[in-house]
Amino acid sequence: MSFLGYRRPGGSVGTRNYVLVIPQGLIAKSISDFVTGIRTIQTVDHGSGRTTNDRERIARVLIGLGRNPNVASVIVHAASPGVGYPELKAERLADEIAASGKRVEVIDPAKDGGVYGAISRGIQLARMMVYEASKLRRVEAGDEHLCLGVKCGYSDTTSGIAGNPAVGYLFDKVVGAGGTAFFGETTEIIGAEHALAKRAANPQVAEAILDAVAHREALAKSTGLDIRTINPIPANIKGGISSLEEKSLGAIHKAGTSPIQGVLQYAERPQGQGLYFVDNWMGSYSIFAGYAAAGSNLVMFQLGGGGLAGRDLMEGSPAIIAPFLWCTANPNTYRMAKDNIDFYSGTVIMDGEDPQEAGERLYRTVIDIASGTLSRSETLLYTEPVDLCLEEPRF
Amino acid sequence: MTPMGFLKFQPPFKEDGSVVPKRALIMHPKDNVATTVEEIQAGDQVRVVGGGEVRTLAAIEAVPFGFKIALEEIPQGAIIIKYGETIGKAGRPIVKGALVHIHNLEGTRARGDLEGREKR
Repeated sequence: MSFLGYRRPGGSVGTRNYVLVIPQGLIAKSISDFVTGIRTIQTVDHGSGRTTNDRERIARVLIGLGRNPNVASVIVHAASPGVGYPELKAERLADEIAASGKRVEVIDPAKDGGVYGAISRGIQLARMMVYEASKLRRVEAGDEHLCLGVKCGYSDTTSGIAGNPAVGYLFDKVVGAGGTAFFGETTEIIGAEHALAKRAANPQVAEAILDAVAHREALAKSTGLDIRTINPIPANIKGGISSLEEKSLGAIHKAGTSPIQGVLQYAERPQGQGLYFVDNWMGSYSIFAGYAAAGSNLVMFQLGGGGLAGRDLMEGSPAIIAPFLWCTANPNTYRMAKDNIDFYSGTVIMDGEDPQEAGERLYRTVIDIASGTLSRSETLLYTEPVDLCLEEPRF
Repeated sequence: MTPMGFLKFQPPFKEDGSVVPKRALIMHPKDNVATTVEEIQAGDQVRVVGGGEVRTLAAIEAVPFGFKIALEEIPQGAIIIKYGETIGKAGRPIVKGALVHIHNLEGTRARGDLEGREKR
């Protein structure tokens, strides 16, 4: 099977066709306010006082978003010209993005007549880049060019019964066709790690899965708290989930049954194709930007929602450049927020729909949205800010 | 466990296509709890399907949509099983037909509070 996408230099295929301006700040905001078709990242972390590892994580997000096939071309502005950390220098970001073969321009207040000058030049550049990008046409591309990322959230017991299995079916189908898929949320595989380790492509990957969980569980224990005061979150408990283990065992259904090819760090690009576990945190403000930076050209939020009273409007996507789908299997969530839900699989529980047929419907929905149909979230102008998944203390 | 093992069971519906009332689902034959997919009241008969068999038991108390009902008596400290895997242990004795949730199910993983107690 195939979708219609934008072919990029190097052979990757985008599901969208944006011009990206990074990093965040007044310059990026001004350009995106003036020019159509621009994406930028909204986050407050500039790396100040961060460790080398965490600054590298920030760089990985910015470079990864730039390289993502949903981006036609990129403007990098020099945020702290001459005085910034080396990892985050505009030239470094620009060079690594340009290695993908796409056009990258650097604007620099120190060379372009100050911030006013940089904004002015940025707007001129961005207009022409958007114009050039608009000349590109979608072409047929095989499913091996899909790179999906999933998070399950506000999980309840419908997530493990029908919602996550539908995503698992989709993942198996896309991975089987040579595509790539990411799942993660290390805390939410505690109690299910043995099942995932058995599916590792090799012993090193199995060990990496178990190590990631051991590290996360040790951190959790070091708090001295009953994990249930933190995770499962109150919405999970209100939705019928009673322990972290129960949440995890339901959560891993979204990963399907394919072999796990590797364990990736936040925003890390995989070496090959297939199914990957990402050692990340569950927060929706960080996880989708991380998947997009790792190459996802479409991401999804598998929503339980049993504990979400009165929620009839969902926020826009924090995925920045990757179309974002809301999926649910909870009939009450669907009834409440129909306008927002791209895919519903509660039919498996309520109407006896064959689970594989639900998986096929999700696959067709994904192909439609990958080919240009807007996701519900994309019809909103609002997008959530991004909270980068950084791990080390600040100084 | 096989994550997609779930796909092997057929959701129940009558010949005429209507949904059988008061249903609960078992995810794996080893499970000692089932997940309700109806709002269940005390005294309701609950038809439990999945895991290759169908059985009926009486709910001894209300079990909301998506919550768990005990399929058998579970002694205090015994393992509670869903998806064929451990989801915790009984914090107190649980009778057949009872609601199983945070009041009587203790998670066993990542319990920093227990860690502290053991050290002291």
